[in-house]
Amino acid sequence: MLKQRQESAFSYLYDHYSGSLYSVILGIIPDREIASDILQDVFIKIWRQIETYDTTKGRLFTWMLNVARNASIDALRSKNYQQGQQNRELTENVYDAAGSTQTNTDKIGLRKIVHKLKDDYRVLIELSYFEGFTQDEISKMLRIPLGTVKTRLRTALIQLKQVIKP
Amino acid sequence: MDIQAYIRSGIIESYVLGLANSEEIAEVETLRLQYPEVEDAIMEFSVLIEEQAFENAVAPPPFVKSKIMAAIHEEDRHTISPVFSLSPNEEGNSVVHITFFRKWRILAAASTILAISSTALNFYLYNKYSRKNSAYQSLLTERNTLASSNQVYQTHLREWEVASRMMADTEMAMIKMPGVPGKPQHLATVFWHSQSKDVYIMPNKLPLPAAGKQYQLWALVNGKPVDAGMLDPSCNSICKMKNVPYAQAFAITLENAGGSATPTMTQLFVMGKV
Repeated sequence: MLKQRQESAFSYLYDHYSGSLYSVILGIIPDREIASDILQDVFIKIWRQIETYDTTKGRLFTWMLNVARNASIDALRSKNYQQGQQNRELTENVYDAAGSTQTNTDKIGLRKIVHKLKDDYRVLIELSYFEGFTQDEISKMLRIPLGTVKTRLRTALIQLKQVIKP
Repeated sequence: MDIQAYIRSGIIESYVLGLANSEEIAEVETLRLQYPEVEDAIMEFSVLIEEQAFENAVAPPPFVKSKIMAAIHEEDRHTISPVFSLSPNEEGNSVVHITFFRKWRILAAASTILAISSTALNFYLYNKYSRKNSAYQSLLTERNTLASSNQVYQTHLREWEVASRMMADTEMAMIKMPGVPGKPQHLATVFWHSQSKDVYIMPNKLPLPAAGKQYQLWALVNGKPVDAGMLDPSCNSICKMKNVPYAQAFAITLENAGGSATPTMTQLFVMGKV
């Protein structure tokens, strides 16, 4: 009985949050098939780990968003995914993008907004939020001092907030 | 500590988006307990991100849900059975038991909060939709107004083209009819084709007739007024009247709508000799 009610509460949770979480995943993994698989993993993780969610530490969505983002970045880093991307690039050269399940990440949710920012800022949010690089890694990649990466990223986030704010 | 400067530093945004390092996380989590402003800023940005994600929601393929529900149902069967086992004193069982109820409590709370917050969000989105929709409606009205006034101008332009062609026509006699004594501000012009004998009127300056009244054009033939047609109230440039084979003068009177057999001389407005 209780088990049934728990499942129906979870079903309700899925109905309300799956669309927004799916768009978060698509912002990182544009392939809709892979993104659907990740969404599935994300909800199973949410189900298993809901007891670790601390209501005093933030909103439920914020917690789920971070679960989704972490899962997407893990997938992005996986060997499988990277090989798949290489193959896809090869096939796309031959067959063009017609019929591909690829979504253009530039057009999805938060990423679309990030694209409105100045390049210096955009790059930092892209690398840290959407690609999951640490500030240390970014500092080495872009050959910018770590302190600059930190302050610039924070300025970028403030700009981002200004752009989202209605 | 300048808490406002801290809030404006971008640390809150990094924290909410999961970009802060462990030191920063510890700092924010200490400060949010001390300063309600920090807590508010965290909530504000979280809500902003949440709304943004909701507005951009993309529906996942329907099979994903059935797969998930099947998977958790399967998982439940394995985790829950020990709770109801006959040896409730085993340590492992009580842990599962607590976990199970905690999960249930959070899910129940989540759904309640969800129902409330989704109502609020729906309300917000609906408001946003209504605002956009009414902005769209007013743009549409504006566009229609512009289109129709454009059409009015086009009609005017065509009418004036016709008028200017007539004025340029050497066969066309132009008879100016100034206002009669006492009505010097009025003016109308008759165009009369010498071959076809067609008559056109241009009501240059005539006051708007009162309701139920209409201007009538008369041709004076050997001292007798002959009806030459009623002026269409919508005539703005040049309008065709009745054919008049012979006349010495033209005049306009204001008559009851539909016209009279003889002119009401007290209502004579303009007159001009050929």
